[in-house]
Amino acid sequence: MRKVLAIITLVIILLIPTFLFDGIMPSIGDPNSAPNTHVSDYYIENSVEMTNSPNMVTGILADFRGFDTMFETTVMFLAGLGAVLILSNRPNIKKRFIIPRNYIKQRPNIGAPRYKTINKDVMITLFEPLMMIYAAYVYFHGEISLGGGFQAGAVLGLAYIIDVMIVPGRRKKLFALDKGNALSIGGIGTFIYALTGILTMTGGGLCLEYDKLPFGLSHAESHSAGILMIELGVTICVMATIITILNAIMGRVRFDDDPIKRREDA
Amino acid sequence: MMRNLPALIIIFPLVSALLSVFLSKISLYLGRNLVITSIFISLALSIVQLREVIINGPISYKFGNYAVPYGIEFKIDTINAIMLVMICIIGLLTGLFSTNFEENSKDRIKIGGSHALIALLCVGMLGMTSTGDVFNLYVFLEVTSLSGYVLIALGGSKGVVSAFRYLLIGTVAATFYLLGVAMLYSVTGTLNMQDMHDILSSRANDDTMLIAMCMFIAAFGIKMALFPFHGWQPSAYTHAQTGARPLIAGVMGKIPAYAMFRYLYCVYGTEFKYFRYFLIVIGALSVMGMIYGSVRAMAQTDIRKMLAYSSVAQISYITLGFAIGTPIAIAGSFLHMFGHAFMKGGLFFASGSIRYKYGIVDMNDFGYIYKKMPLTSALLSISALSMIGIPPTVGFFSKWYLALGAAGEREYIYIAILVISSLLNAIYFFKMIEKIFMAKDRDLKPIGRDSVMELPWTMMIPIVISILMILGLGLFNVKIINILLMSLGGIGI
Repeated sequence: MRKVLAIITLVIILLIPTFLFDGIMPSIGDPNSAPNTHVSDYYIENSVEMTNSPNMVTGILADFRGFDTMFETTVMFLAGLGAVLILSNRPNIKKRFIIPRNYIKQRPNIGAPRYKTINKDVMITLFEPLMMIYAAYVYFHGEISLGGGFQAGAVLGLAYIIDVMIVPGRRKKLFALDKGNALSIGGIGTFIYALTGILTMTGGGLCLEYDKLPFGLSHAESHSAGILMIELGVTICVMATIITILNAIMGRVRFDDDPIKRREDA
Repeated sequence: MMRNLPALIIIFPLVSALLSVFLSKISLYLGRNLVITSIFISLALSIVQLREVIINGPISYKFGNYAVPYGIEFKIDTINAIMLVMICIIGLLTGLFSTNFEENSKDRIKIGGSHALIALLCVGMLGMTSTGDVFNLYVFLEVTSLSGYVLIALGGSKGVVSAFRYLLIGTVAATFYLLGVAMLYSVTGTLNMQDMHDILSSRANDDTMLIAMCMFIAAFGIKMALFPFHGWQPSAYTHAQTGARPLIAGVMGKIPAYAMFRYLYCVYGTEFKYFRYFLIVIGALSVMGMIYGSVRAMAQTDIRKMLAYSSVAQISYITLGFAIGTPIAIAGSFLHMFGHAFMKGGLFFASGSIRYKYGIVDMNDFGYIYKKMPLTSALLSISALSMIGIPPTVGFFSKWYLALGAAGEREYIYIAILVISSLLNAIYFFKMIEKIFMAKDRDLKPIGRDSVMELPWTMMIPIVISILMILGLGLFNVKIINILLMSLGGIGI
């Protein structure tokens, strides 16, 4: 009975909008609709001049509505913090370590690269610097073209994931971050964002009013500097959050190709 | 400094939360202490701000100094100025209280992190309360709910399950809210609340507004656990992390209720064509919730679960005030909001203390606890009396103003339900009082921590302040109602 009722309710709920939604929203691309005439016009006409960012999206995201972005970044940090706290809730990892299944013992070469055509040890060392340079490019060009802090951070985080995941335990890592350090770095990244707001307030302005940054810059320069500062904060936070979540999950997962040494520990 | 008050109130706890984990790596309790200090600074600033608002009228704070519909605006009037003070007080007390539940743990990430979560929960709620921008409200709603999920999940294995359930339902609520905002944006083209109100009242968009309002009621109803949407709430409040429970149960449900008030009366306004119908819908849901929550609460023996079900009933009092719609009734429901934050927060402080000392949560084991923990029992009894509505506690006066408003609108059925629900409250709260004072002594042994005092001082302060606030809000209710009415003048039917 309950299931039938639930299904009937669902069908009704899905049907109602199809009748009601007709004509209550403006049609797509209507130049006279409210969203295209009120605030958007102002942004299109003034954003380049007011924010000194040729990319209008960045201008709105980082300048007009920079306060929203501050808390979107905080949400990223919160995601990392939540993942670490929930997943590390049972601290004794050794007790949970599963005794290795038999077939792993029969395969001494487990973890060794299976395909010999491309040597990953060599390729990764070529890949990672390129990815990081690309991330830096995305970060600095976010103001002008597509991209920005979130994407740059994601690319940096990806470089770390590749470094950790592809050849586990074979090669010395470029940089290793445990989950506590990664979480701290994520917090500091978001703090850089908040610091920009605090600096504008110490300069005598309102929160995130880049004109009042106490560096003695002109209008255009100070807006660029402010946007770069908050994008730096976002980049660091996103990168660190990705690493944090990876570390938090790795703390709870046992892979088949774990190095032999850790299995003996258990 | 004075100009930046609205932003500083939010930035202090935010910065402390962000640096908490890092500082915990340097010194074990540094991050935790910074969080508590920063919430205290916010409390002081919010009191200064309340004084400013009372003397000089509403504050409008524009981020980035952009003109109003183009940037983000914080709008502080007397209502949310008082709410900010309330959030900061409960946040500070919870921060102090929860320091006791991690004594044996030396895990730096956990100590720094759980206090960072409390600070972020405060930040989210402070932001939701201050903001005058509909999308900014969504961002803060996200911060609030995410930190809420994690704090609930930290309460052990049952906590994880209830947090997951809340996560699923809460995500639906957030999506509903975003859909509603998108519909309003499609007919107004703005995100600022005041601007949106002006445009909505000048053009006829009743159908879009109708559907958007349905979505807002669903979204905020889920978030505040209004009657048919309350499914996630009892288990979440029961199994949340013990230290953080007063903040979650005491304040987290009130902020969506406040947001619903903003949408009903400030964004839509009484000139909305279907306004009366929505008041009737909200009133009907509240009436059902008041009876349902009280009846379910009577059946519980676990004190946490009883208090959680009682919250379903108590949140309905708040929405009942919005449904009546006269300024005095709305002021009454805000008074109930403040009062209930301290009553429910206080009850959870007390139950947490009993659990801390004796490790029990079942009310049948409470026998003669008034001899062992006199102050805690005093708080339990005073909060219970306030819940029932006995003068001079705040619970009586908030219900009085609600009834006054209902009588003015000739909604006699609301008064009848108010009385019935209070009597039902009396049944289960007197059951608790009976267990405290008259049940058989259970020979409880304190678990581990022997001390001369009843409890450590970080637990005594929340208990004493809760008692004082429940009595103080009751005795000075006229002042608070007058402050609230300063902003409610133009609002309401």
